[in-house]
Amino acid sequence: MLLAAAGAIAHGQSGSPEIYAIQNATIHTASGPIISSGTIVVRNGLIESVGSGADVPAGAWTIDGKGLHVYPGLIDALSRWGLPPAADAPASRPAAAPTAARRGGGGDDSPSNVQFQDDGGPEERPSNTSWLKAADLVQPNDPALTAARNAGFTTAVVFPPTGIFAGQGSALNLGGGRAGDMVVSSPVGQFLSLSVRGFTSFPGSLLGSIAYVRQVYLDAAHYKSAKAMYTQNPRGLQRPAYDRALEGVLESPRLLLPASRKVEIDRMIRFGRELKNPFVLYGGSEAWRAADSLKAAGVPLLINLKWPERDRESDPDVVDSLRTLEIRENAPAGPAALAKAGVRFAFYSGGVERPADIRRAVKRAVDAGLANDDALRAMTLDAARIYGLDDRLGSLEPGKIANLFVTDGDWLAEKTAVKMVFVDGKKFEPAAGGQTNGPA
Amino acid sequence: MDRRKFLRGFLLAPLAAFAAGEVTVIRNAKILTVTKGSFDGSILIRDGKIAEVGPTVTAPADARIIDAGGQYVMPGIIDCHSHIGTEAVNEGTVTVSSMTGIEDTVDPEAIGIYRALAGGVTTANILHGSANAIGGKNVVIKMRWGKGAPEILLEGATPGIKFALGENPKRRGGGDSGLGGRLRYPATRMGVEDVIREAFTDARAYKAAWDDYRTRAAKGERLIAPRRDLKLEPLVEVLEGKRHVHAHCYRADEILMLLRVADEFGFKIRTLQHVLEGYKVAKEIKEHGAGASTFSDWWSYKMEAFDAIPYNAALMHKKGVLVSLNSDDAEMMRHLNQEAAKTIRYGGLTDVEALALITINPARQLAIDNRVGSIEAGKDADLVIYDKHPLSNYAKVQKVFIDGEMYFDRDKDMSERAVKAARRRQLTEKQKAAAAPARPAGGGRRPQ
Amino acid sequence: MRVLGLLVAVAAFAADDSFVLRNVTIHPVTSASIPNGTLVVTDGKIAAFGARVAAPKSAKVIDGKGQHVYPGLIDSASNIGMAEVSSVRETSDLVELGDFNPQLRAVVAINPSSDHIPVTRGNGITTSLIYPGGGIIGGQAALVHLDGWTWEEMAIERNVTMQMRMPTLTTGTFSSTFGAGRRPFAETKRRYEERLKLLSDFFEQARAYQRRKAAGGAGFVLDRRLDAMLPILEGKASLMIFAPRERAVKDALAFGAKENVKIVLAGVREAGAAVKEIAEKRIPVILGETLELPLEEDSPYDSAFTLPAELHKAGVTFAFGTFSVQFARNLPFQAANAVAFGLPYEEALRAVTINAAKIWGVDSRIGSIEAGKWADLILTDGDPLEARSQVKQMWIQGRPVSLETRHTKLYDQFGKRPN
Repeated sequence: MLLAAAGAIAHGQSGSPEIYAIQNATIHTASGPIISSGTIVVRNGLIESVGSGADVPAGAWTIDGKGLHVYPGLIDALSRWGLPPAADAPASRPAAAPTAARRGGGGDDSPSNVQFQDDGGPEERPSNTSWLKAADLVQPNDPALTAARNAGFTTAVVFPPTGIFAGQGSALNLGGGRAGDMVVSSPVGQFLSLSVRGFTSFPGSLLGSIAYVRQVYLDAAHYKSAKAMYTQNPRGLQRPAYDRALEGVLESPRLLLPASRKVEIDRMIRFGRELKNPFVLYGGSEAWRAADSLKAAGVPLLINLKWPERDRESDPDVVDSLRTLEIRENAPAGPAALAKAGVRFAFYSGGVERPADIRRAVKRAVDAGLANDDALRAMTLDAARIYGLDDRLGSLEPGKIANLFVTDGDWLAEKTAVKMVFVDGKKFEPAAGGQTNGPA
Repeated sequence: MDRRKFLRGFLLAPLAAFAAGEVTVIRNAKILTVTKGSFDGSILIRDGKIAEVGPTVTAPADARIIDAGGQYVMPGIIDCHSHIGTEAVNEGTVTVSSMTGIEDTVDPEAIGIYRALAGGVTTANILHGSANAIGGKNVVIKMRWGKGAPEILLEGATPGIKFALGENPKRRGGGDSGLGGRLRYPATRMGVEDVIREAFTDARAYKAAWDDYRTRAAKGERLIAPRRDLKLEPLVEVLEGKRHVHAHCYRADEILMLLRVADEFGFKIRTLQHVLEGYKVAKEIKEHGAGASTFSDWWSYKMEAFDAIPYNAALMHKKGVLVSLNSDDAEMMRHLNQEAAKTIRYGGLTDVEALALITINPARQLAIDNRVGSIEAGKDADLVIYDKHPLSNYAKVQKVFIDGEMYFDRDKDMSERAVKAARRRQLTEKQKAAAAPARPAGGGRRPQ
Repeated sequence: MRVLGLLVAVAAFAADDSFVLRNVTIHPVTSASIPNGTLVVTDGKIAAFGARVAAPKSAKVIDGKGQHVYPGLIDSASNIGMAEVSSVRETSDLVELGDFNPQLRAVVAINPSSDHIPVTRGNGITTSLIYPGGGIIGGQAALVHLDGWTWEEMAIERNVTMQMRMPTLTTGTFSSTFGAGRRPFAETKRRYEERLKLLSDFFEQARAYQRRKAAGGAGFVLDRRLDAMLPILEGKASLMIFAPRERAVKDALAFGAKENVKIVLAGVREAGAAVKEIAEKRIPVILGETLELPLEEDSPYDSAFTLPAELHKAGVTFAFGTFSVQFARNLPFQAANAVAFGLPYEEALRAVTINAAKIWGVDSRIGSIEAGKWADLILTDGDPLEARSQVKQMWIQGRPVSLETRHTKLYDQFGKRPN
């Protein structure tokens, strides 16, 4: 039995004790050496102490951690958890009315389906919901959050999913309850995709997407300085028009740019620099070829744990290109190459549908040469660092948020089960038997 | 050697990166300089440049010798109109897409670059598509296969922009516009002219707004700067003569229209692309000073190409227009030498005139003739070795050099095929096995 | 203008189809070349040729000094005359509605006044196989001379083969709205199998019809569509099956064997492992456009260029087709390019002359310079497969044919525009 102090098992929401002490456990702090038989004390949602000789305060619920491992709670560095599909952007249509009436002498008679020269370009902010924040959209009762927590995740950096300027991410703790209680930090960044859905409206190509993003960041810089001037002294100045799309861009402390192939990584490094904003790349399937570029640029990378693989639906007679085959073969070796080169990176769930499968995906990176510790950091401390949240998340250190998970073995071993998860100091236990890494 | 590294190496790397200061001599060659005659001789390459060319050259003792075995050497082919090496070509949703630029989407690993190399092309003008009256910005690249995106751009090439006239830009104004039921102005050649004039009117106003701002700001006036407009900035550059216009066009009427609009706004059309009826208005093209970059023999694939004739290049050339042949096609790009040979059949050009259409003339059109386009001392060592005269349909490319580095070698290409095929088989089998449904070893739980 | 001087004088369709060509290098294709030879044409046919041939005294004599005479070139697949401006639907009669249209005849939709006919002739092509498209069975292809006041006069064989397109498995999709996409394999395979089933059912219907017809009787009703299939079922005519990729080639071979019909493979762009079977079964191949990009990223850059040599090495009989309207005139350059990449020159020449004639069963009439054959001839200043050469004169069935085209006329007209 795990709980030594009392017979009653306190679950999640109600009646949680305020103080927990896990004793005699192997503690993986992520920030320092492994403590082979240590104690970690959690009080009021924070880590009070960690160490081999840490005191157990009076009134603490003590947990015998013999044979157990304690890890910092896992972080999904780019997540959709908590945003069911229904939460998709409500307003990706251009905000401004077309200016069709301007030309052609037709005045107001111009048919509404005719697009004139000045219509539909970047000025109309298509595919842009930069002002949306995941913190405002999250549905705390989304079953995905529970599933993730059961797999050892305590935090997800959740971004709205739709559009080129999809919106702002929020770091959310997976403790459920009210949405507001889940928010660790918001906004943490603007999620950009350069994907194109059809050729029917601007931008209809990668060319247009990039040009569009570039114009928006120029507009944002202009907006910012114009507003500053106006705020300082409005007299004699034309009032800058309010633009929620630019407000959203300016609010975001960093931007996330898509980059999977090496060509894209190099391209987005150049583009990110040009935008003069802190940026992070996500994707990384060809990170194994791009470690030098990333190192030289000092740009962090979020790596999609959905390793590229042959589509089971694909034509059995079609032989993929060597390029594709090499990407599949080598993608899991990317993290090791980055670790070796000293590039900061973190993992994200990407296309891995079940949280329980994520650790298996991480294991593939470890099998391809990534040190176990580096793998753990890529899901904890380094993810926190990339978002500037390492002062509160990512490692087991006194004063940080008490996000941790407890297993009965090495976190990446096939049969290891997650025994309990602490989010903001609140204890959760997965269903009986614990969540193993094995097939579920 | 690690096989994976080996493979990666040969898939994407110049074959021989020459160290600085190293000297290479291509000897025993039939040299077609294009600008300085043809003769048997040698070419001395130092630091990626042609240092000397002639019947004999003075080579240092330690020079790397490449014996051409009596084969032909010509300048690397220049394609003045191509869409390879980019992940996107058209931003067709707007009438004016000058805010876009191919530089943003260059893909130096696109296989088309290697294939173009294997066809003797060393430089190409990579243009935006022709869906818009004013399209996006272009780049001039060298086929430096294995280098990154910035490195394949030809250093110092004048920036340019694509225009398009006629059927393509007006297509979205009617019928199935491809815009999801919307129609996009313009629907006629009149409208195409209007769009261009309107855009340059806007560009002038934009320039005036900035000039005004700068003047007043310099006087200490407190002003909010105008917003930067990436659509209009390239057009201001056109007005200022800092950006070349490469205009897709077919019919004589629209060609003349564009020349007159350019005259009115005080800029030059650098090249007329396709310009299939250019032979009808060669006089006006020459007077304006535009170059003409055309197809060898494409015709009748659409209405505006029905008066296209394969004599176009020769006729425009004879009327004094600077003419090049382009491909606009990843396949035709691989045998522009054969396309050039057609101008001998159609119009009776000489061998040198025919070769000029794919070397020095496009170089002049792109204002890169100080770097490329002929075999002359001081120019980049961009060279192609053919086994037969390059204007013969039986000739094939043996080796291609860019900046003195060998980027294509047919023998090497052939010898590496088996290795690549074996690796492809091996990985395919491995990945097919991995994709098979997982079966946990003994006693494990079955997947649910 | 180069050609006109010679030809305007000899107006097209001059009645005189007898002449003597002397001092010329004769390239009969089926026998060794003869320098300084003489060729005698009588009543549109080759009467005699050789180093020493007596010319009839009365005959008109043409001096071919420094020039070469070849049999007219044959394009084994084109659409000239059936479409004028391919992107303008109103000018195109290539594709009929429906999956099975064996009763359709391309020959009746060949416009003898098409500008493509003289343009194509200009490069030495005297004969073209013109096929219809659309559906699975598109209709009857015609072999025609590129000369004649009417399609009747043009026709060499009105129904030389039946065009059929092998259903293929293709997962790639493209739409103007959404761009390139991919269908799931299972769905594609289902559609492919449905198409195969349709094809197989159609043949079954045709056979049932064949039996009903043979049985005769009062109940028999003519079905023109199925009736058009009888020559195929009886082995009297061939099916020209379009099969671009190896998988389709294999399907076509299997289909031909199962239905026990005579097939010609067309539009072949790769043969792969099927090449052996093609050779063993002596199935002729009409090569697809060979100046093409490789089919896959990893294919050797020259894979389309070397395919003719590959087939030749395997012992396959093949001919070149352009499968085109506006590019039909480039037939000789396709053949030449194959030579650059390994095909012996003689084989390239045969593939656009005698081998094409053999494949279409007309080698007793055209395809080489042999006594008794039609005088379909071209006079050139060099190798007709080289772009640098000029075609100086052409005769079809001994008639001099104009080499003036829409293009030469525009060239002359605008060449005269004052500077």
